[in-house]
Amino acid sequence: MARTVLICDDALFMRTMLGDILKGAGFDVVGEAQTGAEAVKQYKALKPDLVTMDIVMPDMGGIDAVRAIVKEFPQARILMCSAMGQQALVIEAIQAGARDFVVKPFQPSRVLEAVQRVLG
Amino acid sequence: MDLSRFVDLYVSETHENIRLLQHSLVELESDAGTSAVAEAFRAAHTLKGISAAMGYQTVADLAHSLEDRLDAVRAGRVKPDAGTVDALLAAADELEEAITAAIEAGPSAGAPEAGSADATDGLAGRQSPAPDGTALVVHVRLRPDAPIKAARATLILRALAGMPGLLGSDPDQFDDDFDGRLRVFLDPSADAGAAATAIRSAGDVEEVQIQASAPAASASARQTRQVRVDGKRLDGLADGLGELSVLYARLQRVGMPAQAGDMIDRLGTVLGELEHEMRALRMVPLREVFERLPRVVRDAARTVGREIELVLEGEDVELDRAILDEIGEPLVHLLRNAVDHGVESGAARIAAGKPERGRIRVGAERERGSVRIVVEDDGAGVSSVRIVEKARAAGLYDRAEPPATDDELFRLMSMPGLSTADAVSAVSGRGVGMDVVVNRVRALGGAIDMKTRAGIGTTFRMRLPITLAVAQALRVRVGGEDYAIPLTHVSEAVELDDTTGDVTADMLRVRSHTMPLVRLRRVLGVTGEGREVAAVIAEIGDRRAALAVDELVGREQILVRTFDAVAGMLPCFSGATLLADGRPALVLDPLSVI
Repeated sequence: MARTVLICDDALFMRTMLGDILKGAGFDVVGEAQTGAEAVKQYKALKPDLVTMDIVMPDMGGIDAVRAIVKEFPQARILMCSAMGQQALVIEAIQAGARDFVVKPFQPSRVLEAVQRVLG
Repeated sequence: MDLSRFVDLYVSETHENIRLLQHSLVELESDAGTSAVAEAFRAAHTLKGISAAMGYQTVADLAHSLEDRLDAVRAGRVKPDAGTVDALLAAADELEEAITAAIEAGPSAGAPEAGSADATDGLAGRQSPAPDGTALVVHVRLRPDAPIKAARATLILRALAGMPGLLGSDPDQFDDDFDGRLRVFLDPSADAGAAATAIRSAGDVEEVQIQASAPAASASARQTRQVRVDGKRLDGLADGLGELSVLYARLQRVGMPAQAGDMIDRLGTVLGELEHEMRALRMVPLREVFERLPRVVRDAARTVGREIELVLEGEDVELDRAILDEIGEPLVHLLRNAVDHGVESGAARIAAGKPERGRIRVGAERERGSVRIVVEDDGAGVSSVRIVEKARAAGLYDRAEPPATDDELFRLMSMPGLSTADAVSAVSGRGVGMDVVVNRVRALGGAIDMKTRAGIGTTFRMRLPITLAVAQALRVRVGGEDYAIPLTHVSEAVELDDTTGDVTADMLRVRSHTMPLVRLRRVLGVTGEGREVAAVIAEIGDRRAALAVDELVGREQILVRTFDAVAGMLPCFSGATLLADGRPALVLDPLSVI
């Protein structure tokens, strides 16, 4: 059975790109979220094997979403997607419970390495 | 150059030289030979040099002017009479105060810099030292192209979190300056292989190297192996160890499964070693206190216009620091007392056919588990008549006849509120009475007595335990309650039966000694059932007494906690302790019942 992933990013371009990379690696994209609040709601409903989480999103940011999810589901496997120059935010996200991070622009090999570590 | 590294060395070396200086100045007066002045000069010179090196210019200047004055004495331009020595001693005091002030203020900002040393310090300064107990250092390097290295390093630390034996890392927080290299410190219990695997699993790791921490240790070994520790921390450690010993003793009494036996045996061995180390750690030679005494005697003798020679013996005898800290004051009091009331004036001594110069001896020696310190003068002896007079005036004595024995006389002398000085003299009338001396010695678990002979002199003998923290004690039972008697005062225990004589009598004969039999049931006011079947022979000086008890339970290590007497409490207790079975017990002070 294919592993499931929830992709959270406010930019359609990013969601599409990440979706392509992950589908190529055999993942089943079961949901997409454009805000942090939506990410939390979808996580509860879908309980995916993996979540990719953008840091800056409207409504609720990615870090708060990580906190909310991890609080309820400590085993949640969340991969942060960060832009360059967001060092402090990435560290904050890790402290909040994110398992790893990738930096935009995405290189498929790096994304898959990180996914492997998150799921491993 | 970082001068703060040298402060400890400076402290100990100035301390040493100030003592040397004072000692040789006192000697200078009595023996105007050139060796004393040369020694004083050397000490002042050393103080000048090391103070200047630390940037303590005020101190260096004072030492320099003292050096000049000593040079004048050395060259014979100034005669080392009492007035000169007074002035020199005052200058030495001033110097000592300046040193203390300088140490408190810290190394001077205006200290000369050693440029070349700075460069290497700068490099080394970037690396913080490995924490104590580090056995392995794991060097980690991230891939040079790893993005957001600080976040990656945070993941590495999280991967290691909770791992046994992890002591920390350098850096332990990561910012923009983080260059992708970090060191992780592990103690011997850590699994280095597991740590390396965890580190690699965090991603973007280029290299992991495990190294024994020896190089770091050798770097610090070059500096010094001496460590100055706050005495309080040592006390805390000793207390903890003491409680551990008590717990161990309790553990031995609980029935344990066979496989625990070996571990308990091993625990006992390790505890024994630790206690031995702890005792050694806390031991300080009496020299630290003795050093001050020549000055005390000299100043006191000057004030009353007497010439007195002080002989010190046994300076190398060691005592627990906690005890050493407490006995300085009583010793000083006994010495001032000897100068003021003991040794006669020169004229009186000549009239009595004694050498004009008085003599006081302070001697220390090891004696079983204790240290005996003797303060002995060759003066006129304690005037029983005068003590009684004073005691009567103070309303402390109402018997017609004077005290019959030295012990009685000494008890009278140690009553609070009795001062024998005709006027409050500058020497011994400083508000510290013999009662304070006696109480201090007793609080330490020691004993003091006095022997005096008219026209021949007076001897005070103190017996002090070597260490405070853990004491060997005899556990006895009286009326269903357990008490601990410190073994320092116990010479033996005997069974009370028909062969030892009449148990109902108030005296007991053991071999050739006859001694009073003190019934603890009576002293403690016990009325319950029970029979006195054994006696503990307590020995203080050459006084002996047998303490009758219901039962001898055994010998134990106890941790004595002294306390302030609770109102209404019997004065025969010197502290409380927890026995091996966890029950609290009072510690009996045999001295008070003898």
